[in-house]
Amino acid sequence: MGKLMTVDDVSQSFPLKDGGHYIAIKDIDLEIHEGEFISLIGHSGCGKSTLLNLLAGLSQASSGGIVMDGRQVTDPGPERMVVFQNYSLLPWQTVRQNVAMAVNNVMHDLPAPARQERVDRTLAMVGLEAAKDKFPKELSGGMKQRVAIARALALQPRLLLLDEPFGALDALTRGNLQQQLMQICQNAGVTTVMVTHDVDEALLLSDRVVMMTNGPEAGIGQILQVPLPRPRQRLEVMEHPDYYGLRGELIGFLQQQRRLKQRRTSLATAPAPGAVNASRPFHRSATVVRLGVVPGLDVAPLAMAIDLKLFDDAVLQVVPVPFAHWQRLEEQLLNGSLHGAITAATAPLALTLGLSGQRPWSAVTPMTVSRNGNALCLGLPMLAQGVRTLGDLARWLNSQDQPLRIGVPQRRAIAEVLLRHWLASGGIDPERQVRFEALSPMAMHGALRTRQVDGFCAGRYRVAEIVQDGQGYVLATDLDIWSGHPEKSLTCSEAWAAAHPEILEALCSGLMRAAERCDDGGQREALTQVLSQPQWLGTRAAIALQRQFEFGAGTEPKALLRFNQFHADRACVPNPAEGAWLLSQFSRWGWCPFPSNRLEVLGQVYRPDLCAAALQRAGLASLRPTREAFALADGLVFDQDDPLGYLKSLPGSVQPPVAPVALPVAGAAAPHSPAHR
Amino acid sequence: MTPALATPPHERRPRKSWLRSPLARQIKAPLVCIGCSLAVWQLLCLANPSGFPGPIQVITQTWDPYISQPFYDNGGTAKGLGLQILISLQRVAIGYSLAAILGIAAGLAIGLNDFLRRGFDPLIQVLRTVPPLAWLPISLLLLQQADSAAIFVIFITAVWPIVINTAVGIREIPQDYTNVARVLRLRKRSYLRDILLPATAPYVFTGLRISVGLAWLAIVAAEMLKADGGIGFFIWDAYNAGGDTSTSQIILAILYVGIVGLILDRLVGLVGDRVAGGGR
Repeated sequence: MGKLMTVDDVSQSFPLKDGGHYIAIKDIDLEIHEGEFISLIGHSGCGKSTLLNLLAGLSQASSGGIVMDGRQVTDPGPERMVVFQNYSLLPWQTVRQNVAMAVNNVMHDLPAPARQERVDRTLAMVGLEAAKDKFPKELSGGMKQRVAIARALALQPRLLLLDEPFGALDALTRGNLQQQLMQICQNAGVTTVMVTHDVDEALLLSDRVVMMTNGPEAGIGQILQVPLPRPRQRLEVMEHPDYYGLRGELIGFLQQQRRLKQRRTSLATAPAPGAVNASRPFHRSATVVRLGVVPGLDVAPLAMAIDLKLFDDAVLQVVPVPFAHWQRLEEQLLNGSLHGAITAATAPLALTLGLSGQRPWSAVTPMTVSRNGNALCLGLPMLAQGVRTLGDLARWLNSQDQPLRIGVPQRRAIAEVLLRHWLASGGIDPERQVRFEALSPMAMHGALRTRQVDGFCAGRYRVAEIVQDGQGYVLATDLDIWSGHPEKSLTCSEAWAAAHPEILEALCSGLMRAAERCDDGGQREALTQVLSQPQWLGTRAAIALQRQFEFGAGTEPKALLRFNQFHADRACVPNPAEGAWLLSQFSRWGWCPFPSNRLEVLGQVYRPDLCAAALQRAGLASLRPTREAFALADGLVFDQDDPLGYLKSLPGSVQPPVAPVALPVAGAAAPHSPAHR
Repeated sequence: MTPALATPPHERRPRKSWLRSPLARQIKAPLVCIGCSLAVWQLLCLANPSGFPGPIQVITQTWDPYISQPFYDNGGTAKGLGLQILISLQRVAIGYSLAAILGIAAGLAIGLNDFLRRGFDPLIQVLRTVPPLAWLPISLLLLQQADSAAIFVIFITAVWPIVINTAVGIREIPQDYTNVARVLRLRKRSYLRDILLPATAPYVFTGLRISVGLAWLAIVAAEMLKADGGIGFFIWDAYNAGGDTSTSQIILAILYVGIVGLILDRLVGLVGDRVAGGGR
């Protein structure tokens, strides 16, 4: 199927009376293929019709572009024919005149008899020959809609756009017309985009259903492929074994969107704890924000932001609170002693789901602080066993009874998730053949030296130390597992985020501005200087920041591009697709069932909207999560719209239980009101 | 609910059925009410037979020649009422036609061009409230001739509703129709013929109907002040003559003016329905 139309990063905003803007749809990407039938579905006010008008060219996108046949869509035209919601027939013309007017205008090169023949043929196609001399007011709703469809099809458009075509019809007429439309579209081979709010209609007619999230700033939440065989018959379709699964997916999505909307509304209206500042926007005394960190190279943006005074000190004063153990940090975050923390990228989801057995705590992440930066480091005894690759390790482990002991900073966190995935891809069973032990990053060095563990996974700083001391070597880095994976996230409670939007925005924008500098090779000197301060990494910071990466074990050091990634390539954007992958892994290892309401969970935890606001405040280009499917180093493609299919494709064909997850009540265990300076 | 068994079934003989015919039902109410009004008028005038005439006197005093010979012509201004009305109608026809042609053209221009609309709107709003007679001195100064002056007054009175309604009609063309035009990339001529004119026509005819009433109002007033012939002139002439039957002549003329006004209004309404009501 060739590509007919590309919707590229399209946003549409409308000016409001008070001078502001209402952003109806934001960052829409969509490809429409030749001959395809696409439905746009979503709750009212989700911008479906706005998008349709943009496709038609009736209105112009505020940003982004729509390209059809290699040409930008700038105005409406008959090759993109629209069937409007209320038919839009001209009441002073008969059925025939209505269709003929369109044909005569658009196909004026054709000789008159050919045009007439075309009009008659199209009217016959929709079964309206008998009514051709009637005026629209003499027709029923279904007949009017057929006239409108005939008028559109008579022009042989490349793309047919239908705006809730059957919304105003009774059920019987609607069913008949759907069937007719399907046949007509199939016979004419016309590419069609239809706006609807009817789940069954979407499934019956579509090849793909594009589900849109709530407005304002509506986007594409999920795209559902409808692989039901064609030609379709209503009854056969409903009896197809996949039908109810697909239907459940659609209805589930719509229900999740409704609940998310209700939740946002209740958070916005309820007086949130410590909402003093939010209600007094002109009160300019800076709020102290206690931010938990575990020192490592990942704190670089925070260190830079504080040192270079990149935080808006009229709004907030950031106090970093260092921890040696991740577990302690999370305890303090949950009991409200911390306002936020730089946590493992798994933490926002893990805390929300109560993954480590704690009470579920509704967390949000407005930004990803760092990506990559970890390496798996093994002790020298392993080198003596000839373990230099994953394959070596698998072979060695298969000859052993003892499991491999690996130290990780935190159980069930990003490092362990990645390692498990990587080890499994190499034929190792992480459940049976590996024992993960939680160790403070500071204790890793000692544990390896004393043979307490066979290896550990840690950040570049710890790894560089051990390699330089000649105690270990690097078996794999993040680049071998998932290059560009989210490593650390900024995490805070949903209630605090809702109560202090400006503080959170200022916090994120400070970190983002610092992150940009951290990625800038020209600022390396400054970064080294900052991180060398005792409260961060101390005097050995320079090792962590050296250009060449030492693998140890006699191999040549080499430069790893983007080994620590803070800013480049949308590094700071919290991407729900990555969250979807994490959820798939949680369920893969049996830590929790796969949430059937995953989009609701992800929509609540991942907040690219907050990220975009902070980017704008920081004066950086507004970025958004991509919807593109991605693959880890093992090459298996993860499509966020089909995580269960991904799990099935993994070694061992994982089929975890699927169950809805109850989201924690917003505002539960909210932190105390921030102290004023 | 109590059972309605107590009331006996209707056994009354059907009374004169013509009273129940649709036509009878329609004219019964006006017949009774107008009849009563005429009776009261007659009764009030009985008290003072030499003063204001009652309805019977009006008819007897004007029967000959005004009612019986509407088209007599004794030369000069001594003409039958029918002729007088025709003279007035002729003036109205000229002024109103001018107003319709120029009004629709101006309305189209103002409706299609936002600059013109915003520019002329204040002026139109002010001028449209000026009473017809206030224009007469100016038109006399301008045209130096009673007949043209009266026509000008009719024109200037009748033109505003047409302009305003045409312009509103264009601006009120439903978005649906303009969207259709945009999607089909209708050419100018087709847009005008297939969408703009049909969609605006009902508004234009509303304006025309209001205007014809105003034009008729204006002609009577203008003719009273300055004209040779015409129904307005006739009323004023009868008043100045001050004869025994003057009052009756005036009353009869007023009645004719009203009836003609009504006919004009209905006529334009009928044409509007025919032209602009197609299919709606």
